[in-house]
Amino acid sequence: MSRLTTQNIVMELNRAFAEEVEAATRYLHLANAVRGLDRLLVEPVLKEAFTETIQHAEVLAQKIRALGAVPKLEISVQCPAEPLSGREALRQALTFEEAALECYQDILRRVEGDVPLEEFIRSQIAVESEHVAQLKELLDE
Amino acid sequence: METWKEFDANIVTHSAAHHLMAIADLLAKLGYARVSDVARALNITRGSVSISLQPLKKAGLVVQDENRHLRLSARGQALVEAIKTKRRIVERFLAGVLGVEPVQAEIDACKFEHLLSDESARRLVSFLRYFDSDQRRARHFLEAWRSFDQECAHEPHACSTCEEGCMAEALENRGPARGGAR
Repeated sequence: MSRLTTQNIVMELNRAFAEEVEAATRYLHLANAVRGLDRLLVEPVLKEAFTETIQHAEVLAQKIRALGAVPKLEISVQCPAEPLSGREALRQALTFEEAALECYQDILRRVEGDVPLEEFIRSQIAVESEHVAQLKELLDE
Repeated sequence: METWKEFDANIVTHSAAHHLMAIADLLAKLGYARVSDVARALNITRGSVSISLQPLKKAGLVVQDENRHLRLSARGQALVEAIKTKRRIVERFLAGVLGVEPVQAEIDACKFEHLLSDESARRLVSFLRYFDSDQRRARHFLEAWRSFDQECAHEPHACSTCEEGCMAEALENRGPARGGAR
């Protein structure tokens, strides 16, 4: 596989950066959209995920800066003002967590050969896989 | 149902229409469509695509197989065809008849291609067929209309169209025409 240029790597990292920032925004919304008793159980999970996701975004931004670039953020999030059950919120979270995981898996295929970056992406995949597994467990899927 | 509620209840939102059309275009171009392909085509995140696809899957318009490849159901495909046709009709009407700049006509058509009712679309097609059936008549019609349009005196009391105030003036007062997001 041909090695990616720095510009291409930055582009890939920007994609992941957008996924993480968008996911964090969605977590923040979900944490406040859950209504009913579910809220007691689900809110802490969603808030913790928000904190972790925004940290991932920050790490990605640092990686992009380390490559001499400025992070580029293009997101479009629309979160309707509809109350959600705990299950609905977790289901939504699973949907975008799986998307983030696929994004990292895709990037890994592209950065093959760049060992430090490969390692970083692998570690992100491990964390995202854990998130997905945790959500599936909570949803009993 | 009140009109604005009908607008809200429409499952094919502007964004949904673009997702459906992106899937159709990718299937035509690549023979397959994955969430990542749609995300790249629309320049949005995969998370966004995945979330946006949920109601479309629930409505039976989009199907995702075990390999996570997307396809349109027969109903989804028919909807895409209808949206594309309505876009062509509106674009053609705005640019070809009303003389709107082609770029602006495309932008405006894109804004309501998914909202235009079948009835209104059929009436527009009927009008376009009439308009196109006789080039000489069409030219005369446009010439007559354009010369009439220039004569607007901004006097609503003497105008059979503007009972509630001069519409032309109200639009002029808004400043330059806004293109809006696509």
